[in-house]
Amino acid sequence: MNCKTARVLMSAAVDGEISFKEEKGFLSHLSACKECCDEFDDAKKTKMIIKERIIQFKAPQTLINSIMQLTNFDTRETEETLLYE
Amino acid sequence: MRIYLEPGRFQIMDKPAPTHQTKTPTKKEALSREERQKQLEFQNEAVVHLHSLYNYALHMTMNPDDAEDLVQETYLKAYRFFNSFERGTNCKAWLFKILKNNYINRFRKNSKEPGKVDYDLIKDFYHSIKDTRRDSSEADTDYFHSLLHEEVYQALHSLPEEFREVIQLCDIEGFTYEEIANMVDSPIGTVRSRLYRGRKLLRVQLEEYAKKYGFNTGDDQ
Repeated sequence: MNCKTARVLMSAAVDGEISFKEEKGFLSHLSACKECCDEFDDAKKTKMIIKERIIQFKAPQTLINSIMQLTNFDTRETEETLLYE
Repeated sequence: MRIYLEPGRFQIMDKPAPTHQTKTPTKKEALSREERQKQLEFQNEAVVHLHSLYNYALHMTMNPDDAEDLVQETYLKAYRFFNSFERGTNCKAWLFKILKNNYINRFRKNSKEPGKVDYDLIKDFYHSIKDTRRDSSEADTDYFHSLLHEEVYQALHSLPEEFREVIQLCDIEGFTYEEIANMVDSPIGTVRSRLYRGRKLLRVQLEEYAKKYGFNTGDDQ
C-alpha cells in the first residue's frame, strides 16, 4: 500500500469503519511510513478533542415543554392507562 | 417517569408552562389505545434525542430561538410521520435527517454566502449561551486539552460547512458512515474524504490556537 491509498483509508481507520482486509494493509503501511503514522495519530487525537471538548448545551425547559405539548403527552396518564388496561 | 436525557436535569412537568407559538390541542379527549401506544413509543424512541437535536440545531443556526423553532418543527413532523419510521433503524439518525431538511428549507433560502465565517458571531453566540453548558471533566494532561472549549468550538466553526457537518455527525453524535452518507446525501467515499480533510483543517486551526497561547505543539506531553 502506498501513502495515497493509506490516506483514503485514514478516517475510516480512525472511526473503526475499515474492513479487516483494508486494516491489515493500512497498518503494515503505517509501520513502514512515519509520515502516515504521525498523521494517523494526529487524526485520532483531533477526533478525541472534538469528542471531549465540544460542550453540549441543555435544551431549554420551554422547548422540552413544547415538545411534550406538540406530541400531546400526558405521560403519567398514558403510562397508567396502559399499565392497568 | 420513562424519559431520561440527563441525570437530574430532565423532568416532565405535570402541567407544562404555556409557551409562545405553539397552539396545542388541550382538549382532554380520550385517545385511542393505538394513539397512546404511538405516543409512548415516540417518547421512548424519539423524544429521548431532544438534547442532541437541540445541540445540532444550535450549531447550524447559531441562534437559540431559531434552534428551538427548528427542533419543534422537527418533532412535529416526526410525530406526524412516525409511522413511516422504519422500526429497528436508528431513530436519532432519522430525526437528524428531518431536522437537516427543515433547516435547508427554512434557513438556507436566504442564507449568507457559503464558506464565510463570522468569528464575532461565533464568539458572541458562544458567550451568550455558555452559562447553560453542562459540566465536563477538566482532568486532562495533553497540551491540546489545555485548549479551552471556546477555542475548539471556534476552530470547528471556522471549517467550511461540508467538513464541519461530517465531523459533528461522526465525532460528536457518533453516527456511522452509512448513516452520515444518508444524512448528507453523499456516497460513503465522500464522507470518508470529508472527514479526512476536515480533521486536517481542524488540526491546523487547533495548532494555531495552541501556539497563540504558548503551548508547545512539538511534543505530545
